[in-house]
Amino acid sequence: MEGILIACLVLLPMLASPAVYPLRRHSRAWRNHFVRTLPLIELACAAALILFPDAQLTLPGVCGLGLHFAAGSLRTLLVVTACFLWAMTGLNSPAYFAHAEGCNRYYCFWLLTQGALMGVFLAADLFTLFVFFEMMSFTSYVWVVQNETEEALRAGGTYLAVAVIGGMTLLVGLLLLQDLFGTLEISQLRALAEALPAERRTQLYVAGGCCLVGFGAKAGMFPLHIWLPKAHPVAPAPASALLSGILTKSGVFGVLIISRYLFWADLPWNTVVLALGVVTMVLGAVLAVFSIDLKRTLACSSMSQIGFILVGAAMQGYLSGENALAAWGTVLHMLNHSLIKLVLFVSAGVIYVSTHSLNLNDLRGWGRNKPWLKGVFFIGAASIAGVPGFSGYVSKTLLHESIVEYIHLLEHEGLSATAFQAVEWLFLISGGLTAAYMTKLFVAIFVSPRASGLHLGLREYMSRETSVALGLGAAALLGMGLTPGFTMEPLAERAGTFLMADHGHAVHYFTWVNLKGACISLAIGAAVYLLVIRRLLMRRAGSEMEYLDRWPAWLDLENLVYRPVLRGLAFVGAFCARVVSSAGDLMVLIGEKILFTRAPGIFVPKHDENFGIYARKPRRSIVGDTFSFDLMLAGGGLILLLLYLLL
Amino acid sequence: MLLLLPVLLPVIGGVFVFRQKSEQAREHLALALILGTAVLALVVCLLPEQRLDLLTIQSGLRLALRNDSLAKLFLVLVCCIWVPVLIFSFPYIRHAGGERSFMTVYTMTLGVLAGLAMAANFVTMYMFFEMMSLITVPMVLHNGTSAARRAGFKYLGYSVFGAGMALAGYFFIAYYMAAPDFAAGGAIDPVRAAQHRPLLLVIYCLMIVGFGAKAGMVPMQAWLPAAHPVAPAPASAVLSGVITKGGVLAVIRVTYYMFGVDFLQGSWPQYVLLTLALATVFVGSMLAYREKLLKRRLAYSTVSQVSYVLFGLLLLTPEGVQASLLQMVFHALAKDALFLGAGAIIFSTNYLRVDQLRGIGKRMPVTMMCFTLAALSLIGIPPMAGAVSKWYLVSAGLSAPLWGFGIAGLVVLIVSALLTAGYLLPIVTNGFFPGKQFIAERKEMGPQMTGPLIAFAAACLLLGLFPGGLIRWLSQLAGQLFG
Repeated sequence: MEGILIACLVLLPMLASPAVYPLRRHSRAWRNHFVRTLPLIELACAAALILFPDAQLTLPGVCGLGLHFAAGSLRTLLVVTACFLWAMTGLNSPAYFAHAEGCNRYYCFWLLTQGALMGVFLAADLFTLFVFFEMMSFTSYVWVVQNETEEALRAGGTYLAVAVIGGMTLLVGLLLLQDLFGTLEISQLRALAEALPAERRTQLYVAGGCCLVGFGAKAGMFPLHIWLPKAHPVAPAPASALLSGILTKSGVFGVLIISRYLFWADLPWNTVVLALGVVTMVLGAVLAVFSIDLKRTLACSSMSQIGFILVGAAMQGYLSGENALAAWGTVLHMLNHSLIKLVLFVSAGVIYVSTHSLNLNDLRGWGRNKPWLKGVFFIGAASIAGVPGFSGYVSKTLLHESIVEYIHLLEHEGLSATAFQAVEWLFLISGGLTAAYMTKLFVAIFVSPRASGLHLGLREYMSRETSVALGLGAAALLGMGLTPGFTMEPLAERAGTFLMADHGHAVHYFTWVNLKGACISLAIGAAVYLLVIRRLLMRRAGSEMEYLDRWPAWLDLENLVYRPVLRGLAFVGAFCARVVSSAGDLMVLIGEKILFTRAPGIFVPKHDENFGIYARKPRRSIVGDTFSFDLMLAGGGLILLLLYLLL
Repeated sequence: MLLLLPVLLPVIGGVFVFRQKSEQAREHLALALILGTAVLALVVCLLPEQRLDLLTIQSGLRLALRNDSLAKLFLVLVCCIWVPVLIFSFPYIRHAGGERSFMTVYTMTLGVLAGLAMAANFVTMYMFFEMMSLITVPMVLHNGTSAARRAGFKYLGYSVFGAGMALAGYFFIAYYMAAPDFAAGGAIDPVRAAQHRPLLLVIYCLMIVGFGAKAGMVPMQAWLPAAHPVAPAPASAVLSGVITKGGVLAVIRVTYYMFGVDFLQGSWPQYVLLTLALATVFVGSMLAYREKLLKRRLAYSTVSQVSYVLFGLLLLTPEGVQASLLQMVFHALAKDALFLGAGAIIFSTNYLRVDQLRGIGKRMPVTMMCFTLAALSLIGIPPMAGAVSKWYLVSAGLSAPLWGFGIAGLVVLIVSALLTAGYLLPIVTNGFFPGKQFIAERKEMGPQMTGPLIAFAAACLLLGLFPGGLIRWLSQLAGQLFG
């Protein structure tokens, strides 16, 4: 039964995906029913999987090493979240694509990706994870380029390049791990890693580093985040919601496995993860503040939130034995971020369908008369900004608490905690920036006076299914945020066992100690919004306020560093390759020069290129002139020698 | 006696193919002959191992055939490729012209390859090897242009010279052989050989470099990128998929059936040849990445991918042999799908350069879908077959006793995989996603062309998902070589 459930989750969407083509040929309505129903079936399967926390499935021999799946704990949580997101975007997609051409392709790959993602989350060994991870990378490429605009193709190229390079680096890491341990079974890795002799630890670090690059590329970790701000704005909105909401989590999931199971409390490792996490967190937030494109802002925001999660992953390592708060915070922030991005990106899709623009200047005041969308968007924005009472507050508080706890721990032992105080402040500032850019979006779309020439659009600006999807997402955020003790903590406790969290203790979220952090963050956010965004990033143009793109266009890691470096490497590589490959031909050439001293067939006098005479008739056959012919004669001679010896 | 039939039937039948008057009759006869040979070859594979003496030249030297397990593997591979490519070639060659000579040569080559596979000693193998080189030259010369003639003679020169090097080597080592026949695990007399070990190692190195020419190993790889673009697509497909594997087969025979692992393990030729193989892997991929002509790009890709096989073989471990045989099979399938795809594109559009292929996926979706699957397999993306062989190959490298080469192999193979992605994926992505403005008329090829393509692509996928049986067979085979 459990095995069937897992097989159903992974294989059903993959096998069913080609059905969109014949169904569309029958009628559009049938196809739309299909893409609405199938994810709901999957959601039901995922919900049923909660009942079997120890479900396992082994498929020996498939793909060479055999596939092994397991459910339970964090895996089940991620599977249910993913299925929920798929079901909700499934409700929304037919409306979003109502006037689009060629979306069968999108639906087909949308379902394929769902199966692959299920495989990633349910993988019980790293090989299985890798197989599905690669499938997911390739199938989701189609989402990014679906619109086939110039930018979409370019962003798709970046996405694919990062995915391929990341995937291959991950493969290196896994091969080194396989060589080190002889198995990739996740549950055995921790014991094996601890028993590893010291002289082989270098290989472990190299392998771990490669895995971090591979998973980090998918998660959007600095410095491999380049695809994220480019791919999201160009993808269709339901796809962006999934890309940002759940596909990045597959990378985070991998980072968590590597951090927890291979480098439990390893100091250098956690320092690296923490540093990268902090940079990602701050950089994403800063980019989001500067952006004036709705979906780009949300994409940069995703990057920043992934940074928060990575900080949580590193804090778990620092706190080693007492990591419950960090583990819970990490898990809950993953869950919250998925739901928040579902709500926000689907809202962005609704806005885009009406206005055909994502530039904030074109959207000013569009949502003034749309209370339902306004409310939903507000819940999402408040949640991601960490306003008390919304679910984002809970996870951010837990993450913040874990940093504070480690500072106390260090002070207790009499060590300097300056570095972690800095991390804490950066954490609060990033939280503040989050509040600032979400305010910017909310004010621009729903509060500020209407831009001149903006059509209000139809009264029916979104379909009933879309409002249901948005409503469910927002309700979950609000419900969980108001009852953290009932809903979020049990979830976190269950999911935390996968990360080997201890039992922890109940946190009183609505006490002054914990509210203080949120208040500092929100105060910073208000200051940034009023002083930076309204003063520096906006300009009064006539009677209206205009948003400005102040981020210098040349400051782009991809164009500034990666592309030139790759081009340079390709040049050097090609040069070396040509030198090596010409060795054989060089011999032939030398042979020709030495053995053939005959004059060429045609003479051209020096000062008169119009005049030429043939020294002799040009020969029709070139056979005798080639060195290869001589080589052949040599071979023939050897044959004769053989015959002579034999007879 | 049955062993001789798969050799003689196509070789003699080829003459009758040539003498047929009508095109239709030629095609039917070629198909019948090749199918018949395939059936006979399968029968030979099912027979218990046996030996057939053809001709005794001198007491110790005779031409003989034997169907050992390596021969069976090679026979199955050749037949599985020969039949679909033949079906593809009917419409293609009708279009390209010169159908009569192509069908004749194509049929006869199968017999020669069967002989090469079943050769029981070096002299027989050498004979069939040279026959293979000679008989495939007309395929390269097919379109008769000056470039084709140059390429043809380059091909012939490199092959004959390479095989000549190997033959010269045989003159030296014949004295040290315990018995003239191939024997799994090595046929060399250890006592006599120990006296002149340094000399024999030089000889070994030269022999492998010589046969390596056929497999496209540096420094004699130059014939491949010259010959493939001028040959018709089905010919490129078999040249790349099967004929280069003839070189690999010869390398296996020399390494494992003549010298033996014990003699070579840890010697300097092993390191030199491993270096050459890795250099070839990189060089091939890098040049393919810079190449603009589709078929030449695929030819460079063959240079690189066949050296993966040589790398695995030269590790001299059972895992290495198993992995490289897997790679040999999977590369043959994927590369044939790619060449047939390129052929279908040329047939339909006459486009030769990669930058012309924008939007080709909208025009020929089935062809390009197969091309995509094969490309993914060649890069090594799971769940395609190539991923399995590459995983095993690198694992074998890492677990081999020569650790430095394991790491070097890992790095080179991954860099090469990235380059493979770099030269194949843009074709696919530009082909399927040409941009909004692009308008293409859908013009798919008929089933005679898409059928074989689908078969190869499906094989890549299915063998990637369920490689268990093949892996078991190959590990059994690899086990024999290490006695």
